[in-house]
Amino acid sequence: MIHSHHKHKASILELKQSQKRNLQSWLLSAPSLIWLTIFFSIPYLIVIIYSLLLPDIYEVKFQFTLSAYREILSGTYFKPFFLAFRLALMTTLLCLLLGYPVAYLIARSSEKWKNFLLVLIIIPFWTNFIIRIFSWRIFLSSGGVMNEALIALNLVSNPVEIIRTDWAVIIVMVYVYLPYMILPLYSAIEKLDFTLLNAAMDLGANERKAFFKVTLPLSREGIFAGSILVFIPALGAYIIPQLMGNQNALYIGQVITYKIKNIPRNWPVASALSLVMLVIIAVILLTAYSLYQKRQIRKTDEIR
Amino acid sequence: MKSGKLYKRMNLTIFTLVMVFLYIPIIILIIFSFNDSKIVAGWQGFTVKYYLQLFENQQIKQAFQNTMLIAILSTLFSTILGVLAALGLENKRFTGRKVMNALIYVPLIMPDILMGVSLALMFNFLRVGTGMATVLIAHITFCVSYTTIVVQSRLQGFDYSLVEAAMDLGAKPWLIFWKVKFPLMIPGIIAGALLAFTLSIDDFIITFFTSGRGFDTLPIYVEGAIRRGTITTINALSTLMIGFTLFLVAITKRVRNLLLR
Amino acid sequence: MEEIRIENLTKSFDGFIAVNDVSFTIKTGELFSFLGPSGCGKTTLLRMIAGFETPLTGRIMLGNQDITQLPPYKRQVNTIFQNYSLFPHMTVYENVAFALRIKKVPHAEIDSRVKEMLQLVKMEDQAAKYPNTISGGQKQRVAIARALINKPKVLLLDEPLAALDLKLRQHMLIELMNIHDAVGITFIYVTHDQSEAMSISDRAAVMNHGNIIQSGPPDDIYERPASIFSAYFIGETNLIPAEVTSIEEEYVDLKCNAGDGEFFEIDSTFHFRPEVGQKLTVSLRPEKIAISRTKPRAQEDINVIKGIIEDILYLGSHTQYIVKVGNLKFRVFSQHKRVYFDDKALDWEEPVWLFWHDTDSWLIDEVTPMGMDVGEVNVFERPFQTSRGVKRLLKSE
Repeated sequence: MIHSHHKHKASILELKQSQKRNLQSWLLSAPSLIWLTIFFSIPYLIVIIYSLLLPDIYEVKFQFTLSAYREILSGTYFKPFFLAFRLALMTTLLCLLLGYPVAYLIARSSEKWKNFLLVLIIIPFWTNFIIRIFSWRIFLSSGGVMNEALIALNLVSNPVEIIRTDWAVIIVMVYVYLPYMILPLYSAIEKLDFTLLNAAMDLGANERKAFFKVTLPLSREGIFAGSILVFIPALGAYIIPQLMGNQNALYIGQVITYKIKNIPRNWPVASALSLVMLVIIAVILLTAYSLYQKRQIRKTDEIR
Repeated sequence: MKSGKLYKRMNLTIFTLVMVFLYIPIIILIIFSFNDSKIVAGWQGFTVKYYLQLFENQQIKQAFQNTMLIAILSTLFSTILGVLAALGLENKRFTGRKVMNALIYVPLIMPDILMGVSLALMFNFLRVGTGMATVLIAHITFCVSYTTIVVQSRLQGFDYSLVEAAMDLGAKPWLIFWKVKFPLMIPGIIAGALLAFTLSIDDFIITFFTSGRGFDTLPIYVEGAIRRGTITTINALSTLMIGFTLFLVAITKRVRNLLLR
Repeated sequence: MEEIRIENLTKSFDGFIAVNDVSFTIKTGELFSFLGPSGCGKTTLLRMIAGFETPLTGRIMLGNQDITQLPPYKRQVNTIFQNYSLFPHMTVYENVAFALRIKKVPHAEIDSRVKEMLQLVKMEDQAAKYPNTISGGQKQRVAIARALINKPKVLLLDEPLAALDLKLRQHMLIELMNIHDAVGITFIYVTHDQSEAMSISDRAAVMNHGNIIQSGPPDDIYERPASIFSAYFIGETNLIPAEVTSIEEEYVDLKCNAGDGEFFEIDSTFHFRPEVGQKLTVSLRPEKIAISRTKPRAQEDINVIKGIIEDILYLGSHTQYIVKVGNLKFRVFSQHKRVYFDDKALDWEEPVWLFWHDTDSWLIDEVTPMGMDVGEVNVFERPFQTSRGVKRLLKSE
């Protein structure tokens, strides 16, 4: 029989061991923890401080004021936010529509093809970001390859002005963010048990029904992850609108950058706008997270 | 089944379109880097003169050196930090797990512009002159998350009975780490380092906010050149950079194959 | 070389007692098996001997040395792991050489010892290969060579054949016995497969719920099970609920309950002295029962009962009959005897006689578990899991 003092001894032993391992984990994590606290978390505190200061032509005056927030509340910056939101939404939707079939096709191809196709998707992603944008400028510009081809084919008589429009921005955004959508989708679809699909069809569902009733719901997590990975970075887009877009209607990323970089500078407003964006992102993430948690709970309930 | 075939064909069509979409701009860029014309439109004949101009351009040379230096150093530091953190996070009962996870995953999805702005303002607040050091700090910061996650995901598949086997055969903990665990972590570490390296070379926005005047990386130089309209050599430069990344990927693949046998 | 002595070993995990106050001694050079269903504590016991777990109480003695608190790397004990755990980044040669390289043995000696070991396990021509390029059986050989190269005093084998297919398993079993003979050290073998343990061990211990139920030579456990658990876990058996009606000098008379108020009488030799009126269980191995459609000549020491064939399973080497006696079902193995005295095979639903010698039954001093009293079941399927499985089986049949 096991006596209580044995139990006591066992628990002390286990406790000591887990305490030692815990300390070890803290020591191993410490460098990253400290680094990210100093260079990721604390900078946001500085942003908060700067948002409460008075702007100057070059820097800031260390004088407390709420003028930056007042300026934001006046509604001047509503449109850039709206444009960024619309852009992020369009980009996410288009990435999903284009990415899903691609991810599905890769996930369902044979092992040998899978790796090859994945590399094909990733290679453009390895190509420099700026260069990818630049290549689209060459392709889309009024004297560019696309227009020459369209004119040569007699499809249009005058060059189509795509560059410097919101469409150009969306095309390049989709181009840049597509891999971020395809990869999570791929790993979600790949985990799918395709015999379920056969079972569904065996039970009388046609391809379309089987897709909407089985494949799509089961790959929801991939859709979720992919959408977040595209939508949130897209909200802060700066350089793509800058190089491709219409400079008369600025996106919020451009506005913030101008306020930081261009003279006269307005760092308090840039800070306040950044914080507004941060809050929007936090709300989106927390909503997504709680939705995800609810789903997880429901899932475990189903298992029970 | 007719509808089945239809869906398959639709998938294949979209797949092909996406591939064309992904590759056409790059291919055109490469072709036009050999075009003997000041502007991008119209084929004027084959030339390599822009490549030659490239090598004479001191600014580009400097930007290339800066990029490489930043990439190598930030890869080195972020990989070390990432490996340590991943080893720390192996412990499922680690009390700092939630904090660490938050610190590692949040930077991953934050728009670059927010990280750029916040770092720029902090450097200003601390009166730190922007330049190579600030760029390096920024790059390490955004790379750590990636290296940690990559190494961590590889560690999840680690077979702990190998550690027991080594212990059983007489190896003490420290030796087990260097003889068994670390060698098996190398593919993950390489994958993480490669990712950090490409991300560092690739970055424009965060560098844009944290580099001062006079410290250009290639992306910063290229963006400036595009804005100024001096794009002839940029085609050539871009082609070389594409070639370079492909070369890098091929090499690491080979190294990994060698290690993973 | 020294014997292994386990004294009052106890281990618990989060309050669950995995090994409960176990004591035993394994002699030098012995091939000793721990046999039991999964979760019975056999692997925990092995891991404590290897040093991967620290016992809560008790001692592990290797000869005169107390090794209880020694870390694994200081014990002269090596382990063959269930999935072999070969280092994937090292060649076969490097795997085998690992322990010696750790000890900084001179190169030339490493080389000769590794080669010797590889020869022992017949892997000398695979030395340069990597583990993921060789077969399961070959991995097994490498694991053996790797574990033996350090000249351990004890080799621990944790379900070493579980990952191999049947043919290879039988082959490797013989190899293991040969290797045991060749190196002459103590082997401690853990398995859930009773046929493995029976064929390989000098002695075996049956474990359940962290306790050793019975230990001894395999044939002893088979022929003389000390409990219902060891009777059904080792081999297959018929368990008959019985009550002692009288005790003679060499045998007891038993009244067996066939359910529904039906009874039949048998007699049996005994190895412990029951009392008149005591309820106990008779274990009768299926191969000890003869089956016939004609009634055998009456003899004093032969038990004869009548039943009806319910099922016939042709199993190649033998045929298995399920015979109903009242509500009891008897499992009977009959070797190559599908044809009987009158050249006609026994058929379903046919009335038959079952008979056996009264020294072939074995009394177990335990009341037949629930469900037996009403005579519903006395035939056990080979249990899959713990004794919970027994209860489940009893209920379901």
